[in-house]
Amino acid sequence: MVNVAMVGAGQTKYGNHPLGLKGMWAEAAEQAFASVDGDFEPRQVDEAFIGSLAFGGAQLGNTAALLTEHSGMNGVPVRRVENACASSGYALRDAWMAIKSGQADVVVAGGIEKMNDLTPERKRYWLGVSGDTEWERLAGLTFPGTYALMARRHFHEHGSSHDDLVHISVKNHLHGSLNPKAHIQKEVSFEKAASGFMVADPLTLYDCCPTSDGASCVVLAADHVARQLTDTPVWINGSGAASDHLALHDRPSITRLAATQQASKQAYEQAGITADDIDLAEVHDCFTIAELMATEDLGFAARGQGGVFARDGAGRLNEGAVTVNASGGLKSKGHPLGATGTGQAVEVFHQLRHEVTHGRQVRDAEVALTHNVGGSGATCAVHVFGREVA
Amino acid sequence: MDEHLVWHGYLLSHHEDFTVIQSPFTLNGTRVFGADSDPTTLAVAALMHRIGIESVTSVSVPEGMDGETLTAACGVEVVKEDDLDDCPWDLMMSDEAVVVLAKQGAEVTVPQLDVAVPVMADEHEALEQAWTKELHHQHVSQGAFVSEAAYMEGAEARLAMMGQQHGDSIVWPPRYGERGASEVTGMKRTGRVLSWTALSAAGAPSEFALRAPLLDGLSTVLLQLDDGPNGVFLLVDDEDHNVTMGAPVELVLRRLYAQEGFMRYGLKGRLV
Repeated sequence: MVNVAMVGAGQTKYGNHPLGLKGMWAEAAEQAFASVDGDFEPRQVDEAFIGSLAFGGAQLGNTAALLTEHSGMNGVPVRRVENACASSGYALRDAWMAIKSGQADVVVAGGIEKMNDLTPERKRYWLGVSGDTEWERLAGLTFPGTYALMARRHFHEHGSSHDDLVHISVKNHLHGSLNPKAHIQKEVSFEKAASGFMVADPLTLYDCCPTSDGASCVVLAADHVARQLTDTPVWINGSGAASDHLALHDRPSITRLAATQQASKQAYEQAGITADDIDLAEVHDCFTIAELMATEDLGFAARGQGGVFARDGAGRLNEGAVTVNASGGLKSKGHPLGATGTGQAVEVFHQLRHEVTHGRQVRDAEVALTHNVGGSGATCAVHVFGREVA
Repeated sequence: MDEHLVWHGYLLSHHEDFTVIQSPFTLNGTRVFGADSDPTTLAVAALMHRIGIESVTSVSVPEGMDGETLTAACGVEVVKEDDLDDCPWDLMMSDEAVVVLAKQGAEVTVPQLDVAVPVMADEHEALEQAWTKELHHQHVSQGAFVSEAAYMEGAEARLAMMGQQHGDSIVWPPRYGERGASEVTGMKRTGRVLSWTALSAAGAPSEFALRAPLLDGLSTVLLQLDDGPNGVFLLVDDEDHNVTMGAPVELVLRRLYAQEGFMRYGLKGRLV
């Protein structure tokens, strides 16, 4: 079966972006096209998948067609992929599958969200639409609340603590301070992160990712095309995905995400690796507790030991077996919902080509992983990448 | 009057021929509704108590009470105006936050109880205004919300804790496509805390935007219900909460939120 590689990747800076949907997408797509080493034109694209929740005050329906129109891909078959915060993780998977199926040779996957053009009340409304509407929303829960329930339960079952979450926040802010594309490019002290404004007890402001504007875009190619376009392709060696009960109360456990466990198992098997082989992982830390649980669910830490993993600084840049969120993660790099999944892939693209600057390069990075979660874990996509094809 | 007790967070007085249920909250000596109560929530509490003692199958309901909610929560038939003479039970309201459930023709006396939890006038007024604004038909959602149709579809599960029997276990809320599930079954309205959080007003869903700041946020618990399933519930709005893991909780009917002229009710947790 055909192998699939990333041959180009680009993204806007995350944060309060001055442009709207069209401009942000054009910027990310243009960067991705320009990053392809060989001659490349957007008209070479056979198919496109663009993830978005359509959060902001712009085009809601048929968003994807508007975006191809403004990135030189007019006429390319395209659709919007919506799986909450995992929208572009799934767009990436759809693009990978399109090539794997033999129906397409060059496919674009991307994502976009404009979040900061709304009033606070509208923003709060949109931030809650991807949780369980009928039961959790009526119980006063948005995602800070659902992840707070997970955190408190994890503390109770496994002896983890809020200090462990603070270590994650401090680490990701440190990494993000080195990333020019990050929304929040500054370090935060342990003391400050430990005493933030309480959003949803026990989670403070420093446990929560920001709401960011941003767009990201990657170009995938079948192996016979990829080798014509670049000498340093980044191979997608595994793509796993799974779903779970939408509402927390239907899950047997709320201290793990079954969808992450299933998706990563699939991706590892396809790539022929284990968690021990991963050099860097971009994980979905919408809240610090999400990263803590992800380190367990992805196999970097034993069950219940995510707190110890964080406390020991095991995920810090070039200090442990795996660097977790070298980009700063959602916590610091930012979380423009629909753009996050392919934004993680953009980071991996540059890391595995050993072209990251500002002291943020993961040494000798050979194998990487992206982990993109929708909502509180109802959907998840995990991808494994390598400098070598599996 | 045979008995006085605290029931579902209200003051209940039981008589052979009638039940009086009163809000514990007072303002200038008058009983007023709490932060998430109204005549319907008091009436449900009265019916639930009476149904535990004797059969109540039909009841007359005054204007200002939500008959559909009474039916969904308590399984009683709300009698139409033409059949009032044959109705064995009447629900009655007063100018205060007091509801009476009485056998037809019963001579009712409302006991004067010395239990009174004073409320601040400005806070009470602010909450009343917030509810009025919420309930206005022009207070609309932008799309993802619990519509009246969605609310009614889940009403028996939401208000009466009806689940699906599945072998030895119960599935709640009921799920379409649940292979092997058989008849609907009522569940106990009790459970224990598996986890909890207190959300700041800024962290609450937009449906609660008018009241969450007045309530200093919202408190939510994840419960393991005594019949097996788990569920998430708001805690009752006007009580102090000192939640601990494993704490026992009872579920009582209260207002949840209003939108587009329609009040949504649901079960909320009370620490016991």
